[in-house]
Amino acid sequence: MPETSYAVLGLFNTPDALMQAIPKVRASKLGTVEAYTPYPIHGIDEALGLRRSPLGGMVLVMGVLGAITAFGFEYWISAIDYPIITGGKAASSWEAFIPIMFEVTVLFATFTAGLGMLLLLNKLPFFGHPVLSSKSITGITRDRYALALEAENDAFDSAAAARALQEAGAVEVEILPAPDRSPFLTSDYIMRTLGGIFAACLVSGLAMYFATKWFPLLPPMKYIQDQPRLNAQKASTFFKDGHGMQPPVPGTVARGYLPTATGTQEQAASLLNPLPRTKAVFAMGHKVYVNRCEVCHGALANGLGSLTAAYGGKPANLQSQQFRDYPDGKLYWAIVNGKNAMPSHAPYLTEQERWAVVHYVRALQRAQNAKDEDLKVVAP
Amino acid sequence: MSRNMKPSPLLWGATALGAAGVLATYATAGHERFWANWVLWFVLMLTLGLGALFIVALEHLVNAKWSVPVRRIPERIATLLLPAIPIGLIALCALPVLYPGTRPEAAQHPILAGKAFWLSVPFFSVRTLIALGLSTLGLAVLVGGSLKQDASKDPGFNLRARKFAPAFMAIFAIVITLIAFDWISGLTPEWYSDIFGVYIFAGAFLSGLAATALALLYLQDQGRLEGVRGDHLFNLGGFLFAFTVFWSYIGFAQYMLMWYANMPDEVIYYKVRLAGSWRAITMSLAFLHFILPFFALVTRDSKKDPKRLRLVACLMLFAHVLDMYWLIFPALGGAPRFSWPELSFALFFLGGILLWLRGAMQKGEDMPIGDPFLREGLEFRL
Ligand code: HEC
Repeated sequence: MPETSYAVLGLFNTPDALMQAIPKVRASKLGTVEAYTPYPIHGIDEALGLRRSPLGGMVLVMGVLGAITAFGFEYWISAIDYPIITGGKAASSWEAFIPIMFEVTVLFATFTAGLGMLLLLNKLPFFGHPVLSSKSITGITRDRYALALEAENDAFDSAAAARALQEAGAVEVEILPAPDRSPFLTSDYIMRTLGGIFAACLVSGLAMYFATKWFPLLPPMKYIQDQPRLNAQKASTFFKDGHGMQPPVPGTVARGYLPTATGTQEQAASLLNPLPRTKAVFAMGHKVYVNRCEVCHGALANGLGSLTAAYGGKPANLQSQQFRDYPDGKLYWAIVNGKNAMPSHAPYLTEQERWAVVHYVRALQRAQNAKDEDLKVVAP
Repeated sequence: MSRNMKPSPLLWGATALGAAGVLATYATAGHERFWANWVLWFVLMLTLGLGALFIVALEHLVNAKWSVPVRRIPERIATLLLPAIPIGLIALCALPVLYPGTRPEAAQHPILAGKAFWLSVPFFSVRTLIALGLSTLGLAVLVGGSLKQDASKDPGFNLRARKFAPAFMAIFAIVITLIAFDWISGLTPEWYSDIFGVYIFAGAFLSGLAATALALLYLQDQGRLEGVRGDHLFNLGGFLFAFTVFWSYIGFAQYMLMWYANMPDEVIYYKVRLAGSWRAITMSLAFLHFILPFFALVTRDSKKDPKRLRLVACLMLFAHVLDMYWLIFPALGGAPRFSWPELSFALFFLGGILLWLRGAMQKGEDMPIGDPFLREGLEFRL
């Protein structure tokens, strides 16, 4: 069995000789034909029949994927999983997503370009390309033009390849042994790499620390501790009134809490409840009622809440015929504006919660006046 | 070399028709509209000429060899800066009509009062004269010198141009910023954006590149510019491709910061441009100026495909006109205006520009034959 070899190199003295040899060597079909030259030679790609690199397409696809990933990620975080209103912007503001989408697109694209080239197309890793440790390498990097027949499988016949190259006009032929592809991620190697990273961090961190300590004229950034702000137990001069925070501008209304007034109660009578009667809405209404209304109006909405006796107030009996005939809009109006001894609930309840509790009051009314048919409705 | 020296009656006719429309606009459609159109085309001519001159200067600055064979094209396009001078002088009449900073009420305005001197007609005019003068200087040194080199074959020009190019870059930055701040954002002087000059630069460079590519393909169709190959086209196409992204980057960066801060005096600029039919124009700008050309040029082959390149170059020029329209016309207030006055101005100025360029293309050599690097440029391969 012949010794396994990686490739056979044939050396030529001029680029023309090399170009002329390429079709002949390719015709021999003994293995993959590769060229190694000291500088790029025009037309050599076509002569070698190199296929167009698929890298561009891979980069495009991954770039688009990066944009989509970033968008999905940001949308999920800021609009679905943990919506927080910042700066008065809607939770799902595409404008705010663009910079990160741009970054992630670039990240995916460059990583695909770099790693795709090295790992997929150049078939790394192995330390040292066999051609680099050949005898001919000094010539190849200076004034020689090499053509290589590279083994495609175990059946590679290096003697025939050498002959083919000589026949094509190679002045010199060299057989290269297979590269060492033994695993290189040994524990020793990993430990040394980690140690190197640690040492580099330590050195650069210390260098940074002392550089900013000894040359304070050049602070790399404005330190947070130097910023004007309120410190605990210290007077602050940041705001004129010495407070650490300022109340919102008069008239400020939080998102979702409009409207704060709705005309007269009669005008509000025609308002329709915009919410559907779903389980979620009733759950919301129940929660609001228990938290906000029950103390005064009682668990059954009959005006007998725990506060009623204590203060001698007379909260409305919402079970009375008058309020059962009330349109939704008038109930809503009372919640938003308050009525006599009842305070306005506009600052505490969002628009959604106000209408949800109206639904819930209706449910309480119906529960107290249930008919036989109602049971059938509930039965599965 | 056969050259089509026939006069073009069609072009002359269109220009004359446009001129009649321009006069009619002045007489009937109102001065504001007339001057808005005039400023639009003045800015377009300037950005096109400056963009082309920038390409020339860039080549000298980085000592590029590949572009030597095509350099004469941006050089010829840059000569548009000459007819831009009288156009600009006439445009100065627009100041009291269109520019709020020049009106007497500005003295009472809390923001404008502080900038009154800067915005006043005299200093505004002086700045415009300086900008025009500086760009003519660049034109004389870079383009004039190159034309002289055709006969003298003096390689010293390359050295002089290389030394002048860095200085010209500084000059160019000042000129394009002045043009952008004075003539375009001066229409809304309470509004300002630091990056606005860069935004206009991006558009100018893109329009210069697109015009260069278009003229190159036109000359090649006539059998001229022998030796200019796909490799040269590829570089032009690559530049076009890259700078569509640059333009959008700058445009979006400006928008996003204003959108985030939401300061009334800043966002008003976009509020106007996102209301009513302006919204459609804003959207189509994003599409025509970025998305479409970006994906049209994304593959390797498309960057040197003459057909594709011609389409994208036309699209880019159109998008640049739209961009400037989008910047200038909201100053008139109300919905976007487009009817016969705008069409006549387009006919008149486009016709004029094409006539001027045709004349320029017929004179002298198609390549800088005196440049010692011409051969190296012709041999350039990717
Ligand atoms: C501080 C005690 C208190 C709380 C809390 C309270 N109410 Fe009242 N409510 C009253 C009193 C007192 C009245 C009677 C006002 C009057 O007509 O004099 C009233 C009246 C009403 C009326 C009748 C208004 C009308 O048009 O006559 C409605 C409907 C009503 N409350 C609903 C609610 C709802 C829903 C909540 C919870 C969001 C709520 N209330 C919370 C004390 C309260």
